[in-house]
Amino acid sequence: MSDWEERDPDAGRRNENCTASANESNRPQTLVSVRGLQKQFGATVVLKGVDFAVQPGQIHALLGGNGAGKSTMIRIITGDLTYDGGTVEFGSKRGDRPVVAVVHQELAVLPHLTLAENIGIVHARSFIEPYSARRAENIASKALSLIDPHLAATSLSRMGGDLTLHEAQIVEIARALSTGAEVLLLDEPTANLTVAETERLFAVLQRLAQETGIGIVFVSHRMKEIRQLCDVCTIIRDGRTVVNARPIADLTDAEIVRHMGQPAHRNSNSEAARTRSDHVEVTLVGPGIELPVHLGTILGLAGSPDGPSGLISTLIGKAGTSQWSLKGEGWPSRPTAPIASVRNGIGYVTGDRAHKGVLAQLPIIDNVLASRRIREKRRYISRSERAECGDLVRTLGVKVDSIWSVPSTLSGGNQQKLLIARWLGMPLRMVVLEEPTRGVDIGTKREIYALIRKMADSGTIIVWWSTENVELLEICDEILAFDTDGRCTGPLAHETYNEDALADLTGMAA
Amino acid sequence: MNTEAQSISRALNIGPSILGTYRTEIAIAIAIVVLMLGVGAFIPAALSAGNFANILQAAAPLVIMSLGVLLVVLTGGIDLSVGSVFSLTGMVTALIMSWGWGSVPSAAAGLGVGLIFGSINGLLVTAVGLAPFVVTLITYAVAGSLAFIVTNGRSMGIGAPDFWLLNSGQLIPGIANYVLFCVAFAALLELALRKMTFGRWFYAVGSSANAAHLLGVPVKRTRFSAYVFSSLMASFAGLLTVSYILNAESTAGASLMLQAIAAVVIGGASLFGGTGSAIGAVLGALMITVIQNGVNLIGINSFWQGSVTGIAILIAVLIDRFSHK
Ligand SMILES: Nc1ncnc2c1ncn2[C@@H]1O[C@H](COP(=O)(O)OP(=O)(O)OP(=O)(O)O)[C@@H](O)[C@H]1O
Ligand SMILES: [Mg+2]
Repeated sequence: MSDWEERDPDAGRRNENCTASANESNRPQTLVSVRGLQKQFGATVVLKGVDFAVQPGQIHALLGGNGAGKSTMIRIITGDLTYDGGTVEFGSKRGDRPVVAVVHQELAVLPHLTLAENIGIVHARSFIEPYSARRAENIASKALSLIDPHLAATSLSRMGGDLTLHEAQIVEIARALSTGAEVLLLDEPTANLTVAETERLFAVLQRLAQETGIGIVFVSHRMKEIRQLCDVCTIIRDGRTVVNARPIADLTDAEIVRHMGQPAHRNSNSEAARTRSDHVEVTLVGPGIELPVHLGTILGLAGSPDGPSGLISTLIGKAGTSQWSLKGEGWPSRPTAPIASVRNGIGYVTGDRAHKGVLAQLPIIDNVLASRRIREKRRYISRSERAECGDLVRTLGVKVDSIWSVPSTLSGGNQQKLLIARWLGMPLRMVVLEEPTRGVDIGTKREIYALIRKMADSGTIIVWWSTENVELLEICDEILAFDTDGRCTGPLAHETYNEDALADLTGMAA
Repeated sequence: MNTEAQSISRALNIGPSILGTYRTEIAIAIAIVVLMLGVGAFIPAALSAGNFANILQAAAPLVIMSLGVLLVVLTGGIDLSVGSVFSLTGMVTALIMSWGWGSVPSAAAGLGVGLIFGSINGLLVTAVGLAPFVVTLITYAVAGSLAFIVTNGRSMGIGAPDFWLLNSGQLIPGIANYVLFCVAFAALLELALRKMTFGRWFYAVGSSANAAHLLGVPVKRTRFSAYVFSSLMASFAGLLTVSYILNAESTAGASLMLQAIAAVVIGGASLFGGTGSAIGAVLGALMITVIQNGVNLIGINSFWQGSVTGIAILIAVLIDRFSHK
């Protein structure tokens, strides 16, 4: 096991116990068993009777469309939310209740505490225990080095508020791992991670499940990851369990998607025949590179987040010290503020939807139409905006009761769709997308790909940053790669348009 | 799938029901009526036309001030300086009148106080980036002491013989000006907040300044205008009061700042920003005034006023909290 557990006497003892139990007992005790779970928010019934059980040593995929109730069930298991019916029971070899650790979908890193404190804070055993910075640092460093030794070595004293989104995600995972929990609930933990980080995380999870027999629940909308990591899956749909702990190998992708109640993958014809104009619309000028971009190009940005962020901040008018600029007739060389970008026809979907994306207290209609009001200089709120918003919401299949509800009552994936709806179908010159399908379910992802392609076909330049290389390769016409130090390693040549070449260029070859 | 789309479109095509949008406001209105009936059960005179006029007259400055504070609170800020600006406005106006100037230029000078302090607040919050609480605490202290300095602490009578018209004249025959101002300001603000794009920006900024900024909302301009508006409304409320009692005092606005914030909160606004309405603020101000009026009429020692108001705020906030569950 990792040295963190060897040195921590408590964890060491726990681990022995657990390993023993997983090996000896013929009937391993179910860690969490949920039966007939019901939950409603006001008049909205979310869970109508969900069954779900986590066994020791199991990596259990929890699947369902956006708004199916996955996060809700996780928050009920951790005791964050109350429930209206059914039972939630726990079993453990150590005591009557296993230690449950959770990584929530929306990150909760405390901005004014250091990274070490952010992890160490859950380890205080009582209120009056004196706080030891050394102890917190030890715990943090051991937990962190499991998935990111570099971060553990360099960043323990950085403030939580200064962390990038993917660093914050790693911190949250490390915090959960450091508790030595018997049950790990991971709600879309990979949404913000790079390919390499995901690989490392999976290795750790698989080792933990096999060696210590903990139960892991994994929520994700990325089929490839689910197959790579998980043994069994449970699918919920319309508030009920439709597939209960079936081995994942028994189900095909198509079957899983069908069980989730999503439209089957339609092969959109726009994929094949995309004709691009030869007209160079704008040239991106960066350190040691000039990249001409044609009208209607979908340009992918690959690599760890630090690299593309310079280019993106120039495009969206937050240039700061970025070395990138634009060259093209009628294009500002560096928009001076976000409002200048928007007025110049550059739209932006942030990767940090919780802090920089949704306007949490504003009705959906204001969230979706804000960009249009600004871009088109609308002075008055007209009645016709309701239909406009309704159309957008319907196109993206956002699951809402009404356009007057507020985003905080929506599931993560549905909030993400709101951000995309802001720019959809607008006559823009460019849209900058940061991980636009983060947390969006499989069916809608396809829909979004098609809609974005349609925008590109109408002449909008699409700049698409994603940590999911497969996604980039599938949708982009050109890909600009950045290595782990944030240097631009240039466009991906067309003859080597594949995952390995991309992994090489981004310095993330496994 | 199809039925789902249909149900969504049905939900989307009907507008928000009045009951849904103004749930908090309706609850407060009912509470006010209940309060008044309750007092009326002990003291029948409480329900007389004369007392209604009293309540409205007493509420008017608070109503107007609350509308200003509301805008700041919507953006997630706070304005502690309104009470001091209120007092200083009255003092400056009275002082200038004492030099022989007419009503209009004196009142304009009074509003100038609001403009200046509002701009200072706005600039310190937006351009310098200081916390609203700190900034307005400073201007609260400064304007408050200036209110004493300008006349050396003496209260001042009003020189201009026609100044009473501002409060009690009738621009529209049959409606006293103070009522007209309250209704007009509230209606205009409510309309602007609901039906104008820039009105929605106050909510957007209060909901998430980061997100609003990235969307292209002029966050700084929005914040700045909120502070200027707030101070101007406080100034105007100061003018109204002086025009009514025909006397300016350095401490006139001392208790109003907390009452205005309370009114806004009772009216459903969140001090974290992003929620609230003009109608709510008006009703909140009315509720506070009705309570004070009731305490006076019943003859409870006026020392109790603060406790009763405090409990009223608690009840209002609880109602709001549970009506949204
Ligand atoms: N506080 C709330 N008030 C009202 N409805 C809510 C609230 N929280 C969640 N919901 C509703 O519950 C449903 C389930 O939400 P949940 O977040 O559990 O979905 P999910 O399966 O995690 O989806 P996603 O894949 O998008 O994360 C959604 O339709 C959402 O609108
Ligand atoms: Mg979720």
